[in-house]
Amino acid sequence: METILSIKNLFYKVKSTNFLVNKEKTIIDDITVDVDKGEIIGIAGESGSGKTTLAKLITGIITPTSGSIKLNTKEKKKCNPIQILFQNNGQILNPHRKIDDIVEEAIKLREIPSDEIANEKEKIFSAINFPEQYRKNKGFQLSGGQQQRAALARLIAVKPEILILDEPFSAQDYESLENLSALFKKINIDLGITLICISHDLNVLRELCNRVVIIYRGKIVEIGNTKEVLSNPKHPYTQYLIKSENYDLTHKELMDRAE
Amino acid sequence: MLKIDILNISIKSPTGENTLLKNIKFELEKNKIFTILGKNGTGKSTLIKSIMKLLDPNTYSIDGSILWNNKDINNLKYEDIIEIRSRYVKYIFQHPVNSFDHLKRLGYYFKRFTVNENEISDLLDYFFLPIKEKLFKMYPYEVSGGMAQRISLVLALLTKPKILILDEPTSGIDSAIANLMLLKLKEFVKNDEQAVLLVTQDIMFAKKISDKIALLKDFTLTEFMNTNEFFNKHLTELITEGI
Repeated sequence: METILSIKNLFYKVKSTNFLVNKEKTIIDDITVDVDKGEIIGIAGESGSGKTTLAKLITGIITPTSGSIKLNTKEKKKCNPIQILFQNNGQILNPHRKIDDIVEEAIKLREIPSDEIANEKEKIFSAINFPEQYRKNKGFQLSGGQQQRAALARLIAVKPEILILDEPFSAQDYESLENLSALFKKINIDLGITLICISHDLNVLRELCNRVVIIYRGKIVEIGNTKEVLSNPKHPYTQYLIKSENYDLTHKELMDRAE
Repeated sequence: MLKIDILNISIKSPTGENTLLKNIKFELEKNKIFTILGKNGTGKSTLIKSIMKLLDPNTYSIDGSILWNNKDINNLKYEDIIEIRSRYVKYIFQHPVNSFDHLKRLGYYFKRFTVNENEISDLLDYFFLPIKEKLFKMYPYEVSGGMAQRISLVLALLTKPKILILDEPTSGIDSAIANLMLLKLKEFVKNDEQAVLLVTQDIMFAKKISDKIALLKDFTLTEFMNTNEFFNKHLTELITEGI
């Protein structure tokens, strides 16, 4: 299998000064992982474990303290081959512009012949099942779920090779969960985009991802086939996450973790 | 304890009345946790608000009886309903931070419980909340949604109510805290003559916490059943309908 993204010994540290004492906090602690082309990989961990920071490092929004991130993607002029769907995704849409225009503008960044634009737009909208009647709507006229789809359309319009999804299910109620999961699988297969899905919800990852990475305090504690890791967890933290998801923890276990 | 027999709840509109819920009949029993499962917009919150007359009579019209100790609360004086709400039937709302006055420090709400200082400390400790010296000085806008929910629950528990009603207790909080809440609520219904009624769309939470479950759909509530029995009967329906 061809590797599309290779992360080696990645560190991210932040410094803070408190009463003239310099403190250093390690947010990402020696992470090494390879992502295969075309796979769906999940990153799990509780809030504050460093999941979103890792996503920002991969996309280049922030620079690592040390370590390397190597990409095996085609060079493009204007578009970053890695795109990220943020948690509060409604905000990436201009509320006063039509969805149709927003997506068209993104397609034009790819500098393709103008007679192909309409065709390309149709392809994108149908890939994410975006209903015809909402395409002429403006950002603010859409519901949370529709905004998320529109944001997704905007991202795939630049033809990324890797798409990072940051807690994509948090805005959805239970009903939409399965539909959304099916949609991501469709994007993965139809458009050949490698997906990195960040979530605290193991059930979602179990359904969606081939492989899963468990992160605890910035470190990878377990990595492997999703079904194997989640049905036979080796690390105590993974065991804790699974128990907590099933509401099976005792008060003592909860206290121990809190300390 | 509490016997609910609602024939109809409807919302008034200029063109007439739209029915939200109809034919809802159940009775809460002591030492049990009752759960109502339902999708978004089925009327779960409306139903539990109607129990203690929390719905605005200008907007909603309710036809039915709610018996508290064999007295219909519809016939009670306003002061008596307030008394029941403040001492016997406590609510924890979905966004509990809105239950607090943002200009008052949190200590204000604990004032009436000063007799049992230790109990306060124990509960704060149990729910991983800051120690009371620190917490009492904070304003409601300084706490997170999850913390507000726990504080709300602590306050309700200190009142020692007969019935606790919770609206979506797991929404917006992480599973460890939900787990903690689950343990405490189970402990709560064990002693004296207390009961819990909660509404949720979290199937796993419902499965783990409930003694009895009913499903709210198509404007009405199914019969309350024992948890295992409920899932044997409704599981396929829950999955296919996507709740």
